[in-house]
This record gives sequence, C-alpha cells and structure tokens, in this order.
Amino acid sequence: MLVYLKQIYQYRELLWNLTAREIKARYKQSVLGYFWVILNPFFQMLVMALIFSVVMKVPSWGIPYPVFLYVGLLPWNLLAKSLESATNSLVNNASLIKQIALPRELFVISTILAKIVDFFLASSILVLFMVFYQIPINLTIFWLIPVFLTQLIFTFGLGLLLAAANLFYRDIQYLLGLIITLWMYLTPVIYPVEIVPESYRFIFKLNPMAVFVNAYRQIVFNQTPPNFNSLGIAILVCVIILLVSYKIFKKLEGLFADVV
Amino acid sequence: MNNVIEFNQLSKRYFKQNQKTFKELLPALFKGKSGGRFVWALKDIDLKIARGETLGIIGLNGSGKTTLLKLMAGITQPTMGKIMVKGRISPLIELGAGFHPELTGRENIYLNASILGIAKKAIDQNFKQIVSFAEIGEFINTPVKFYSSGMYMRLGFSIAVNVRPEILLVDEILAVGDISFKEKCFKKMNQFKKQHTTIIFISHSMETVVNFCSRVILLEAGKIIADGQPEKVVRKFIKRVANEK
Repeated sequence: MLVYLKQIYQYRELLWNLTAREIKARYKQSVLGYFWVILNPFFQMLVMALIFSVVMKVPSWGIPYPVFLYVGLLPWNLLAKSLESATNSLVNNASLIKQIALPRELFVISTILAKIVDFFLASSILVLFMVFYQIPINLTIFWLIPVFLTQLIFTFGLGLLLAAANLFYRDIQYLLGLIITLWMYLTPVIYPVEIVPESYRFIFKLNPMAVFVNAYRQIVFNQTPPNFNSLGIAILVCVIILLVSYKIFKKLEGLFADVV
Repeated sequence: MNNVIEFNQLSKRYFKQNQKTFKELLPALFKGKSGGRFVWALKDIDLKIARGETLGIIGLNGSGKTTLLKLMAGITQPTMGKIMVKGRISPLIELGAGFHPELTGRENIYLNASILGIAKKAIDQNFKQIVSFAEIGEFINTPVKFYSSGMYMRLGFSIAVNVRPEILLVDEILAVGDISFKEKCFKKMNQFKKQHTTIIFISHSMETVVNFCSRVILLEAGKIIADGQPEKVVRKFIKRVANEK
C-alpha cells in the first residue's frame, strides 16, 4: 500500500493536470461556465424544498427545510457524482490506457478530486444560507472534517472497484445509475431518520451514507460531536473497503489494456 | 551488458471475450459455454536490443508488431516469460494520445508532457522549441478541436520528441502527414540516431525500413522468423508474401 502511495506522489504533477483537465474542460463553450457547479445543486435544492417541505410537509428538526436538506444533499451529491464519474473514468481514458503505462488509479482519483472541488464550490451557498437563517456555528463544526475524510475513503474505495468492473462489463455504469437512485431514498437526505418507523431504522445502520449524513446534521444543527463508537466503526469499515478494492484494482490492472 | 531491452521466452495471449454484458454472459454460463477463447499474439519471443540500435519491425497485419511494442512500453503484461527494459521510453504509438479536444494547445502541451512523465520545469524550458517545431504559431491558444489533423499530429510529435527519450517507439505514425512534415520527422529521428537513442520502428514502407534501420525483424503469426540485415529480411518478407499468393 505504501508503495502505491509513493507512486501516486511521484505522479502528483500528472494527477494535478488530469484533475485540472477535468475541471477546465467540462464547462468550456458555455456562457455561465463554472458557475453551473453552484447553480445546479441550488436549483435542485429549491425544487426539492418546494415539493417536500411546502407540498408534502416533511419535518426537519425545526430547522428551515432548505438548510436541513442542503446539509444532506451536498455530501450525497458528492458521493453520487464521484461514483458515476469514477465508474466511467477508465473507459473514458481508454486511448491513454492502451498507449501509455501509468498507474491506472490516477484516472479514478483525478475524477473524484474534481468532484471534491465542485463540492466545496457548491458548499459556498450553504454558508450563505446558514448566515441568512442565523444558524449558530461554534467549534464543534470542525468535527465535520473526520467524517468528511471517512466519506472520501469510502468513495475512493467504491470508485476504484466500480471503475475496474465497468472496464470488463459495461452494465456496471447503467446498474449504478439505478442503484444510486434507490440508494438516495434509503438515505435520510430529503427526510429525517425520525419519520421512519423504528422497526425499519436498522437500514440506516447498514448504510454508510446514512451514517455520514446523520453525523453531518448532528454536528451542524445540534452542535454535538459525532458518536465516537459509530465514527470508529465507520473509519475501520471504510479503510478495509479501500484496502480490499485497491488490492483488487491492482490485481486486475495488468489486464486493463487488453480488455478496454 | 549493453542491452536496453531483453525478451526472454516471452509469450502473450489475449482473451477474446465473447460476451460483453451480463445479459449475454449469464445464459452462456448456464449452458456451460466458455466465455471466450484465447488468441496467441506472440509465441516464444527471444529478442535482445542493444543501446543505440535502430530496429525495424515488419510483418503482415495481425502478426504481433504492435503487441511487441506495447509490451516494451509496459502497457500490457506478458502471459509467460520475462521482459526487461532499461531507460526512459517515449511511446509514439499514437500521436496526441491524451489530448483533450476542449483544451487549448498550450494546456494540452503541459497535460501531455506530464502524461509522458516530464516535469513542468522541463517543459517551460522547451516550450518555444515545441511550438516552433510543431509550426502551430498563434493557434497555441486555440482549443485543439479546431486544429487540422496535420496540426494535431505535429503537436503530438513535437511533444514526444522533446522529451529526450532513451528509447523511442514509433508505430507507423509517419505514414500520415505531408511530405515536408515527414522529412522533418526523419531529420529529428536521424538526430536521435546520432545521439545513440534506441529506436524501435514499425513500418509497412519497406523503403523506409531499409534506409533507416540498422536491423530488422520479421514477425509472422506471433513468431520472429527472420532477424538481421534490413535488405535480407525485407527480401525474405516480399518473397513469402509473393509465394502465398
């Protein structure tokens, strides 16, 4: 594992360039350009807030629904977008994979890095909302960092596995679209956990994204640190997922150029 | 030992997948059909290439030339046997691999260079040279999707040769491009030859191979069937093709 990390470090300049390529190229030839990264989730949030808060009256811990939703929606979008682009990353770079020997995980990592940049830009709106609704912030907010990092470890792990699998069977990318949609409804993004009957809540314990979203909300709105037991288990599980996926990825890597 | 590349009893087998989707795979597994078949691209290759050699590889389509190059570049792994490569390889398998159509020439130069493993500093120093060799002038700040195919290729070649590789792999790229650019490329490659860069050159142009290479190997169905002086090997190749007809 350390050997791989060292290798990635040696290729840091390329990693940076690939990420920059991803970011720069996406909104070329559009008038609003990179502003879309902020506009998209903003309007997504507005539409959802209208339906789920105004029409369906979903409760939200007594917090203004748009903010409640956004704290769940931003990390959820990060995961969904990262996995979607990671799954396609190797296929999209087929010409490079067939022609140049590089650590292939660079393609997966760089697309996810680009999505992380998007995430931070989109988060700027959340900050404005928090100020607007006068939601208090104190030092507990820094607990977001370990939770966020754990989510990233989880994302990289799944991304590597999906990218490799999609190279062999393209069904993965279509299957993923389906799974992401279902997964979102099984994650408390648009609703709080509390409205789900007690007997069904075990689902949220098995779903890492539910654990993350709950932790984010708790930290931001209740100003309490996350449950250390849950966080510890989450870190352990996510690190294991990453290590196993990375190992599988590296095992299959030699075949990539032959099957792509 | 002055060999920069050594193939030792190397064989390469490709797996030809019959099914590309689950929908096709599942019934096939159920009926006990195999998922595909193996195709041998190279068989028992023993090859030593010394520093400074200019090796030509000839053979019919599908004889394994490109696979040989891909193994040298480390893009694909051998099924059996071993391969040893010493020195920095510049893959010229396809020019402009990794160019992004929406990015400008300038952005693509840096991107492509880092793909080839060159530091940004080195590119900063050679930037003018790369641009002037490629003859793209003011188009440097235009997205490459607006380039003509000639400009695209020139830029790709210009980056690849400015890397100062120790081993240069060239796969039939010079077949395209106009006469003046071809001439320029050969001038550059001759310059490499003088600096004792090892060049591995795949071509279907027998004239070029004879003029340019110091040694030629002939591949047929994944095996090396002739190795030596360019004129001799080329003559043998032409004879075999004629006999088949």
